Amino acid sequence: MSVPSLDEISKVLAKMIADKMEIDVNTITAESNLTELGLDSLDTFDLIFNAEDHFKIKVPNDQVQIETLQDVTALVHKLIVAQSS
Amino acid sequence: MRSMSQRHRVVITGMGVVSPIGNGLPALSEQAFRGVSGIKRLDASFVDQLDCKIAAQSQFDPAQHFTKHAYSMLDRTSQLGLHTSIEAVKNAGLTINDTLKPRMGIYFGTGMGSSHSIEEGYVRLYKDGASRLKPFTVLMGMNNAAASAIALEYKLIGPNQTFSTACSSSAVAIGEAARLIQHGYTDVMLAGGAEALLTFGTIKAWEALRTLADEDIENASRSCKPFSADRTGLVLGEGAAMLVLESYEHATARGATILAEIAGYGSANDSGHITQPSVNGQAATIQAALTDANLPPNAIQYINAHGTGTQLNDITETNAIKKVFGDHAYHLSVSSTKSMHGHLMGAAGALETVITVLALNANTLPPTINLKQPDAACDLDYVPNKAKVLPKLEYVMTNSFAFGGTGAALILKKVNS
Repeated sequence: MSVPSLDEISKVLAKMIADKMEIDVNTITAESNLTELGLDSLDTFDLIFNAEDHFKIKVPNDQVQIETLQDVTALVHKLIVAQSS
Repeated sequence: MRSMSQRHRVVITGMGVVSPIGNGLPALSEQAFRGVSGIKRLDASFVDQLDCKIAAQSQFDPAQHFTKHAYSMLDRTSQLGLHTSIEAVKNAGLTINDTLKPRMGIYFGTGMGSSHSIEEGYVRLYKDGASRLKPFTVLMGMNNAAASAIALEYKLIGPNQTFSTACSSSAVAIGEAARLIQHGYTDVMLAGGAEALLTFGTIKAWEALRTLADEDIENASRSCKPFSADRTGLVLGEGAAMLVLESYEHATARGATILAEIAGYGSANDSGHITQPSVNGQAATIQAALTDANLPPNAIQYINAHGTGTQLNDITETNAIKKVFGDHAYHLSVSSTKSMHGHLMGAAGALETVITVLALNANTLPPTINLKQPDAACDLDYVPNKAKVLPKLEYVMTNSFAFGGTGAALILKKVNS
């Protein structure tokens, strides 16, 4: 499987956040802080859960410390690379 | 804490409802007195796989009342419980400020709890072969999820408890909440319950008990026939009803409109069999409510019966009423509104309390519809097929009994403003 770019991953995740929180996807940037977007810890778990489904990855429990969209994007990218090799 | 030696009067000042015969009090009142049935063919993808294809569904779209973020974290039971709580608080005209929050709590009843969430999890695991479940599975599925969501909505600090006694759950919740206020532990309570069990698995489980009504061949909406000789069983329903209970002092101090007083509450247990009701258990429940209200039996003018439409319940309840009320049983009226709205299980007692309050204030008794064939063993006045006007209603009662044995009876008194 080809590894999606950081930008592609970021767009998918931004759309997931926008759908969940009912906010305009254009207001979300890579630097957006998830808490400031309205996500609490459970919402973040839910986002990771959906990302796991979408990208067919498994996020280990010790790697869910994330603050920004950029953090999630990087984590997902790293896991796709690791799990596709 | 306030003095416990003095017993406070407890009044109902607000009600919210989502039911198979209407959402909101005006719609419910209109349909209940007109004898409209909310029972029909179940609108569900799996209906062809059911032996019993009828149910009493409520029309409730969570997207019309909550943000997607809010409702996607709540089971349908919690959505119904939260929405009807908000409606009840609005109806009561109650402002929940920081002074009230520690003096206000929630007692909630549900029988099967979060059926949709639990079943969705099992389908995902066992049918779809998923290796994991959604992060909210526990929080949506736990039986106290609805009560928790309601407490969070208003940031309430008073007692928050969930009662699960099958079909009497919400009647128990209301009665126990009234006691909290009576004894001074709280000033205001949100009490009632919700049930949303019309899932494939839950209906299949009920089918296996052979207690569900056969579909009426001519008209599915006439399938529930309490106290009629041709009754064949109960019809599962979904919905919710929540009530604002307050001490009389608290209600009058803020100038609230009082809808009724909870004059008595009794609970007793059938100890004979897990499903078969007993005359003694039901009579003990009714007597306990009369004793609590310090009323003679002949004070009661109307009983909203448990009246499920099963052969056994309706005879047993009739005999229990006769045992407690003696000759007066033939002078009071009894009706089963389940003939219209089906059996809301954990929410049944709360919905029927709301209907009974509406009856009290309208001086009108809702009918038992589909009562076409008199049963010699059920020989009371069941308000057959047509509502009855009864001027000067003062004391009325609502009964709830349950699989597992827990009975609850509430006596409501008209409060003239």
